[in-house]
Amino acid sequence: MDQFHQQNPNITVKLISAPFQSLQQQTISQAATGTLPDVVGLDGAWVNPLYKQGALLNLSDAMKSANYDPKDLASQVGYSGSTYMIPVVNFVYPLFTNDAILAKAGISKPPTTWSEFEADAKKISQSGSAKGWVVPLSTANPNGVQNDILSWAWASGGSMLKNGQPNLTGNPDVTGAVNLVNDLIQAKAVLPGADGLQETAKVENFINGRVGMMIDSLAHITTITKGNPNLKFSVSAQPVKDGYTGKPGILTASWGIGISAKSKHAADAWKLVQFLMSQSVNSKLSTLANGFPGNSTSTPDFTGSDPHFKQAFAIYQKSTPVNEFVGLPAADQLMTDFLNEFQKVAAGQESTSTMLANVQAAWKQQF
Amino acid sequence: MTTLSARAVGSTRTAGSRRAARRRMTARVGLYAGLTVGAIFAGFPVLWMLSSSFKSNAHIFAYPPKLLDSSFSFAPYVAVFSDPVEIGYFVNSYVVALSVTAVTLVVALLTAYVFSRFEFPLKRIINVVIIGVQAVPPITLLIPYFGIMVTLGLYNTYLGLILTYVVFTLPYAVIMMTAYFDSLPREVDEAAKVDGASSQAILWRILVPISIPGMVSVGLYTFMISWNEYLFALTLTQTDNRRTVPVGIQLLMGQNNYLWNQVMAMSILGSIPVLVLFLIFQRYFIGGLAAGAVKS
Amino acid sequence: MTTSLSVRRHDQRQRASAPRHHHHALIQQLEPYLLISPTMLVIVGLMVVPIVIVIGYSLMDNVVTNPNPKFVGLANYTAILSEPGFWGAAVNTLFFTVGSVVVHMVIGMVFAMMLNSKSMARVPRAIFRAIYILPWIFTASVVAVLWRLLLDPSGVINYILISLGMVHEAVPWLATPSTALLAVTVINIWSGYPFFMISLLAGLQGVPSDLYEAARVDGAGFFRQFANVTLPALKPILYSMALLDLLWTTQQFTLIWATTGGGPLGMTEMLSTFTYKLAFNAYQFSMAATSAVLVLGASLIVAVFYVRNQRREA
Repeated sequence: MDQFHQQNPNITVKLISAPFQSLQQQTISQAATGTLPDVVGLDGAWVNPLYKQGALLNLSDAMKSANYDPKDLASQVGYSGSTYMIPVVNFVYPLFTNDAILAKAGISKPPTTWSEFEADAKKISQSGSAKGWVVPLSTANPNGVQNDILSWAWASGGSMLKNGQPNLTGNPDVTGAVNLVNDLIQAKAVLPGADGLQETAKVENFINGRVGMMIDSLAHITTITKGNPNLKFSVSAQPVKDGYTGKPGILTASWGIGISAKSKHAADAWKLVQFLMSQSVNSKLSTLANGFPGNSTSTPDFTGSDPHFKQAFAIYQKSTPVNEFVGLPAADQLMTDFLNEFQKVAAGQESTSTMLANVQAAWKQQF
Repeated sequence: MTTLSARAVGSTRTAGSRRAARRRMTARVGLYAGLTVGAIFAGFPVLWMLSSSFKSNAHIFAYPPKLLDSSFSFAPYVAVFSDPVEIGYFVNSYVVALSVTAVTLVVALLTAYVFSRFEFPLKRIINVVIIGVQAVPPITLLIPYFGIMVTLGLYNTYLGLILTYVVFTLPYAVIMMTAYFDSLPREVDEAAKVDGASSQAILWRILVPISIPGMVSVGLYTFMISWNEYLFALTLTQTDNRRTVPVGIQLLMGQNNYLWNQVMAMSILGSIPVLVLFLIFQRYFIGGLAAGAVKS
Repeated sequence: MTTSLSVRRHDQRQRASAPRHHHHALIQQLEPYLLISPTMLVIVGLMVVPIVIVIGYSLMDNVVTNPNPKFVGLANYTAILSEPGFWGAAVNTLFFTVGSVVVHMVIGMVFAMMLNSKSMARVPRAIFRAIYILPWIFTASVVAVLWRLLLDPSGVINYILISLGMVHEAVPWLATPSTALLAVTVINIWSGYPFFMISLLAGLQGVPSDLYEAARVDGAGFFRQFANVTLPALKPILYSMALLDLLWTTQQFTLIWATTGGGPLGMTEMLSTFTYKLAFNAYQFSMAATSAVLVLGASLIVAVFYVRNQRREA
């Protein structure tokens, strides 16, 4: 920020933060009353409602009037041909494994396929007090659906959509992902009480050696090494469906940026966006956050960074970043619908095919 | 015959008093046993909170759980105290909660005085409105309320928060104060009226001085509601220089991990003002509620 | 005697002065309105107006996310009333609320009577009173975090229960469909009973002790004294506290949201969380407003009873 102030002495940037749990509710309320900050940090799940509210500035227009060439932007999120959010930093979700726990269970290297993963998770759960895997499925934060269920399908080249419409019924990849997670729950190979766990439970239990494996954001490396400096762990690509040989997908969450439609300083706001997306700044910014740059010409700066970070970048380069929920209407509601039905499957009240049919019907209403 | 019966009476009395003493003893033991069970129910979670606030984050989930473990340190408290932003949350909370208490008290006194001592046509309807608004789930009002605050230019100001909490605390404050005034004999102010005192003089010079216990109850209740409120404090503020303690606590609970020990430490620190106020005023507090509650 | 006398004198005076100071009488008539105007100003401006706006929302097809909402009459109401999720939430709210209020009342009563016991010295009484009040001083989100820690499968409560042999393996209380509703109700009971207790304690101290003396002379034991003296004396407070608690507990949101978020399997979905999800998960602000208005309507029924009770007492 100081650097930006030096380059643009006439623009003052005030940083405003908010509790994460309420960030979305606050952003939507602020948008409804026109009190959104000029430049807003965005999660892919909120872009759609904010766009519908007319709260976001059309960034394609802003780029045009600033004569900005968007060729360096790795991705853009928008509607009807215009951009409304630019991903600044991308966070990938690799598989984290606790080396000591895996060794104790007689596992020499992290699993690479679904069946290896399933077998390893069961082995770990039988070999000691730790459980194989942690899957947070609390409805207070339905993110588990994208991070811990559908990510399995995406990693194996699957999709939950077809021509922009939900495509769940009879979808082999999604069915396989649901069955995989459910099998592990039934086999008691996951941390108990999954229905009450939130995303924070992953890192907490991983640090404390209560689970052997987790699918989690690379951004958490710092939290892990700070929380338990002695922990030896590895990162690897999320295991793929047995026999899948195509290019693997890797779950990616983006921290994006947009401009308020009511901003009185739209041009200045754009300057800030441009600054954040410029090659060197974007590179520094993403390294600081343990993420990967949204500017495709930037490379992360590995000097002095955690070795896992470099490994993860290698995985990232070999994979396609995916997150099909970004930009969908009411993404949180879609995940909540999915979760509610999945909990029934886990409780043995419903078959996977009934579940997917029900979710499909619920999703159709949102599209 | 007489001596015999007298002796008989005497012996039954001693046996009776012994039995009574034993019964009193059992009752006492039973009472303390009951009190201890109750104290565990009430106090154990708070004790655990205290213990967690001294642990390191990694040890909070250690199994088997221990009340005191090797990671005991004051670091979480030091972290809270050494952060000027977090100190600022406390300052904001004090500014807001004390102002709300003062404003609510004055406004509630005026209204309660009217409800207790005046008869006028719209009294009944207004009374229903004041009690009825307590039935409104605050969360449902969030969006329109937010809009009103922005329109009035009160977004992210102390005044906006203060007004909001006055609205929340006023209905119950009016109800309690009205009940308290009702419990005071009317003769007191009637006599003053005869002596030519104005109605304002009656309120401030006669009723208020003898209503201190009632005002303490209302004040403590008001202070506590405004000190602890979270949802509106979050929605109506935007910058750290206006945020209150509950929002500050929530800020410690991040997306990826909770700073459990600091959350606990800040909760303990945040609850101390309320506890101290209660301990100082508890006699008045209970007395104030008593007068308002029981009407003989 | 004195009362009636002073009243008569006061009446005479007023009658005598009324014709001479006509404008004075007018001021006197307006005075109550003047004095309650601050209260009315904030309540109308910041409560009644938003309520009216919310009612307006509930009659539109969608608001906030839709720049040009259309009037749809009662369509939202029929839609929401035919939704099973709404009724499920209503049933859970009823269980949660009634369970909390009843147990608040019982625990509040027992604790208040213990604290009021004559056979306790001053210092232990003050200590116990301070301990019993503790749950009341924490904000709901902190209570939620604390109990998540306590009820965690590897938390202290499971540890104690396993050590005592009461359960065989750790139970994730908040994540098990059959126990979650009970668990959040217990948490709410814990955090809400002190206010009941304090009010009842205040009530007990206002009961004249000669009533107990008289009952004891009549040979009444503990339970008869309780039924014939204590309970009748406390009835008005019990009644009004129960109604207020009913209103407050129905509105409980933060506690549920921060512990279970309404899950698992919707077992702890309350009307408050249901409404919140409609607004901030599904962005259906009109439906959320409709659900809110329905809750408001139900709450107003309780409020009417409350007002009636207040009037009867006065």
